[in-house]
Amino acid sequence: MAAASAKPSRDIAHTGFLHHASYRWAKIAVLICIASIIAYVWHQPPDGPNGGTWLGYTLGTIGAVFIVWLTFLGARKRSYRGGMGTVKGWTSAHVYLGLSLVVVATLHCGFQFGWNIHTLAYVLMMLVIASGLYGIVAYARLPDAVTRLRESGTREAWIDEVFDLNDQCIKLADKIGPDVHRKIVASVDKVKIGGSLRSQLYGPRNVAGFMDDLNATLMARTALLRSNVEAFNPANTAQNTVMFMASQVTSMDKGEKESTRLQQLLDMVARRNALVARANRDIALHARMQIWLLFHVPLTFALLAALIAHVVSVFFYW
Amino acid sequence: MDSKRTKIAVIGSGPAGLAAAARAAELKIPHILFEAEAHLSNTIYRYQKGKHVMAEPGVLPLRASVPFEAGKREAILGAWDKGAEQHGVNVMYRTEVTAITGSQGNFQISTALGEIYEADFVVLGIGLQGNIRKLGCEGEDSEVAQYQLDDPDEYQGESIVVVGAGDAAIENAVALAARNKVTIVNRRDEFDRAKEGNNSLILKAIDEGRVACVRNAGVGSLVVTGKQKGVITLTTPQGNVEIPCNRVIARLGATPPRKFVEGMGVTFPSKDPVSVPAVSPKYESNVQGLFIIGALAGFPLIKQAMNQGYEVVEFIEGRNPDPADTPLLRKKFESIPGFKDVDSAINRIKSNIPVLAPLTPLQLREFLLDSDIRTPKAGTAVFRRNDYSDTFFSVLDGTVNIAIDPTDETKTITLGVGQFFGEMSLISGRRRSATVFAGNGAVLIETPRRSMNKLIASVAAVKRVLDETYLTRAIQAKIAPGVSAEALKDVVGTATVQRFKAGDIVFKEGDTADGLHLIRKGSVTVARNIGGREAVLAYVPAGQYVGEMALITDQPRGATVKAAIATETIKLDAAAFKALIENKPELRQRMSGVVKERIASNASNKPDDSATGNMVAFLMNQGLGEATDVLLIDESLCVRCDHCEKACADTHGGLSRLDREAGPTYGSLHIPTSCRHCEHPHCMKDCPPDAIRRSPGGEVFISEACIGCGNCERNCPYGVIHMGVTAKKQPSLWQWLMFGGKEPGNYEVEYEKGTPKKATKCDMCKDLPKGPACVRACPTGAAIRVSPEKFMRISQGAA
Repeated sequence: MAAASAKPSRDIAHTGFLHHASYRWAKIAVLICIASIIAYVWHQPPDGPNGGTWLGYTLGTIGAVFIVWLTFLGARKRSYRGGMGTVKGWTSAHVYLGLSLVVVATLHCGFQFGWNIHTLAYVLMMLVIASGLYGIVAYARLPDAVTRLRESGTREAWIDEVFDLNDQCIKLADKIGPDVHRKIVASVDKVKIGGSLRSQLYGPRNVAGFMDDLNATLMARTALLRSNVEAFNPANTAQNTVMFMASQVTSMDKGEKESTRLQQLLDMVARRNALVARANRDIALHARMQIWLLFHVPLTFALLAALIAHVVSVFFYW
Repeated sequence: MDSKRTKIAVIGSGPAGLAAAARAAELKIPHILFEAEAHLSNTIYRYQKGKHVMAEPGVLPLRASVPFEAGKREAILGAWDKGAEQHGVNVMYRTEVTAITGSQGNFQISTALGEIYEADFVVLGIGLQGNIRKLGCEGEDSEVAQYQLDDPDEYQGESIVVVGAGDAAIENAVALAARNKVTIVNRRDEFDRAKEGNNSLILKAIDEGRVACVRNAGVGSLVVTGKQKGVITLTTPQGNVEIPCNRVIARLGATPPRKFVEGMGVTFPSKDPVSVPAVSPKYESNVQGLFIIGALAGFPLIKQAMNQGYEVVEFIEGRNPDPADTPLLRKKFESIPGFKDVDSAINRIKSNIPVLAPLTPLQLREFLLDSDIRTPKAGTAVFRRNDYSDTFFSVLDGTVNIAIDPTDETKTITLGVGQFFGEMSLISGRRRSATVFAGNGAVLIETPRRSMNKLIASVAAVKRVLDETYLTRAIQAKIAPGVSAEALKDVVGTATVQRFKAGDIVFKEGDTADGLHLIRKGSVTVARNIGGREAVLAYVPAGQYVGEMALITDQPRGATVKAAIATETIKLDAAAFKALIENKPELRQRMSGVVKERIASNASNKPDDSATGNMVAFLMNQGLGEATDVLLIDESLCVRCDHCEKACADTHGGLSRLDREAGPTYGSLHIPTSCRHCEHPHCMKDCPPDAIRRSPGGEVFISEACIGCGNCERNCPYGVIHMGVTAKKQPSLWQWLMFGGKEPGNYEVEYEKGTPKKATKCDMCKDLPKGPACVRACPTGAAIRVSPEKFMRISQGAA
């Protein structure tokens, strides 16, 4: 039917960093690991495998060069003007070569561990790799979760809507009565989005105390509003604003107008709370996507320091 | 000679009159320059303070005794005052001329002070602004009404009613709205009389509530109710509206001071109030010795008017100067072998190149001023296939060879004198479709897109010739190779240009197939009904065709074709084509072959689910049908690190030209707010200094020539152009890593207050050797740049 499309003028490689260049760096990393293992098995030094043999020095040098180079990713990814290759390629190499260090460094030390600076460097390296592994998992799983949560909205738009809903709720509550108004104003004050790192990751602290207080007042009003109350059981009553409003709607003696208002208020409070929850969930997902870097990067610098101490001590005091 | 007798009387000291008087002064010819105000050039004097005055048309050289170049109002007025003083121009300030009688040799000029001057010649350069249209109601001359705005910052916290719908009214209303409550009153429903940029400017301001608007309204009355207070009554179809206000600013344009001019014996060609008197090529009116120049003669541009002022004095002196552009044209034409003089060269161009024949001498000169003459050596490429240039070439001499087979450059067809090429890219906005080599003795005229478009818009004959040639060549290139233009004449004769808005159906599945559509401009999607849902099968850009099966079979349409954006197709009638192939068995066989191949490829290309089609439909809905290169983000890979934005900012003076988070998402495909480098860029439409260009690589960019007018920002439907000030120096990465401070690509640009803002947009990092920084900086491979041809593959997850 349609005309054949023109020949692509520029090749685009739409693949993620893990698949980059048909797993080029994964293959290289595997080869390095296999070669190291073969050499390790084949090489039988008289005093057992350790960092001081020629193989130990070789593996150690490879490991040290890798660590310094891997650290350099931080600078490369900010060299926007130039730099070799693409940052995606660098990330791919960073991941696979970084993982290969588990084998290279372990064979370098010949499984000799102790309470010393050398093992400290090793442990720090493993911690950096472990945090990096979490990063890979986070990068693989969280981006989709953010997109699904967003549903084409944005956090700013949600927050704007929350503010807008708050204003509307207050106006509507004002028409219903002073106690409802007071409660809504209080609940507006309690809306929390984001905050400290802990709040970002797990959501703002529970505002249970406030809710109890809210409920007490609202329950009083509920009781007042119901003239032909059936058995009023405080244990079954609302746990929060939403439930309070729901019980208001169902109360039979309200005028039609007030009932409509209460229904509207109920809808708006529910919508607002859903948006707040969603914004906090969005913040949490973003925080989880970045949190591991707070360990990965400082640990890397600790590792570099330990590595320098390790190398210096080996050469000067061995 | 007494002081009230002179040779040349110049009325009005605007650009035209001042230039005439200055030339007369320079030549020591007795003259008097009459000016009603206490300063020169009242029209420009009353421009908004600091207004940037253009010097269009840019290529036309200025030939006047006083200087003029584009710049601020103040600088221009200053230069004129100085020029007038240097030449000793004899100006009579505050001398309003009330009547002129007589003819050559004995003109009598009466002034408002009751004096009478005598002159041999009169040069009338009074423009139109002396006759400003007023409100036309009670109170039009009260202190609340004004017809002029010098400085919008002068007023604060006032309620102001702006009457008018032209450029001046819109510019005033929007500028005032920053500090005042502004209502704009439009006599009609639309603001479409204004420049496109101003039209969208006011619509946006109204939409955002910054300016209130009353449409279809007339002004009933204006009543003063206090000091700088009044009530304006507007008559609308819904009844009267009263608006209390502090100020009414009416910007209703001006009309020729007809009564005054007719009093001199000058006739007007029509009764239309905006018509201007007819003048001879030497600017002389029907009254002998009375010359009319500038806006009153129908030449509203400052530079034209100044050149006329100079020339009119030369004419009076009996000389016949070459037009101002002659030296420039001579320089251009010097490279033509056998060049003698400008006039004969122009005549030769006119007689050799039929497409330029319908132009008036003035149009042709302007066209040639914009163009370049090229004399490439035989065998060199004029342009190559897939180059992204869009100039138009006419063959003045010699030949050129067009390579018709991309795989074999030796297969060519030859174009000779009078023919043209390059129209495909000009019309479709796409890459060059073939390589063109210079033949022996080739002399080519290369014309930029902008001038060509101007010509197409103003000369219908040029458009028709271009369309026919485009169609003939497209048929030859894609459908019937080897068939001569002569043989295709009948087929081309039946062709019609059809226009579709975005979303319009070109033809529907099941319709009778009556012809082929060659897409001239825009793009279409091809969709088929699969399981009750419409699934998009393909995206077809300009330069390609759809519906070719109709040319050899009688089967109904097999798919629905919809315009993805505003699209023009050339429809080729099936019956005429069938008649053509009737006695051309090889062509018939070739066509069957093409169709069979297409059926086979469609069958294998069928999407296995409707998701692909929906994705393409989504991309089209976002206007990507007119894109040539767009940034997409695969959100399943995007870790929201914003390195794309930082990379953009760091490589472009601290201002990112993309907004990663903004923009729509479908599935996990996100379209950030970023330039798509449209085929026919909206931003280019109304750029006064012509600063927006397309580079040979296809990138649409803004050059240093930007004057910061903001038209492109308003014209871009995708909101990807912003006005800003770029940083001169970028922060150092190592300094930031070691010591902190400004992070590269992530800081507020500091600039001195009052630094002019210029338009900024994506230039696809055309100056960086390794390509777009946003894509190169993405750590996970989420950011990709795609051309529309790859949308199908992207949506199938294959690209």
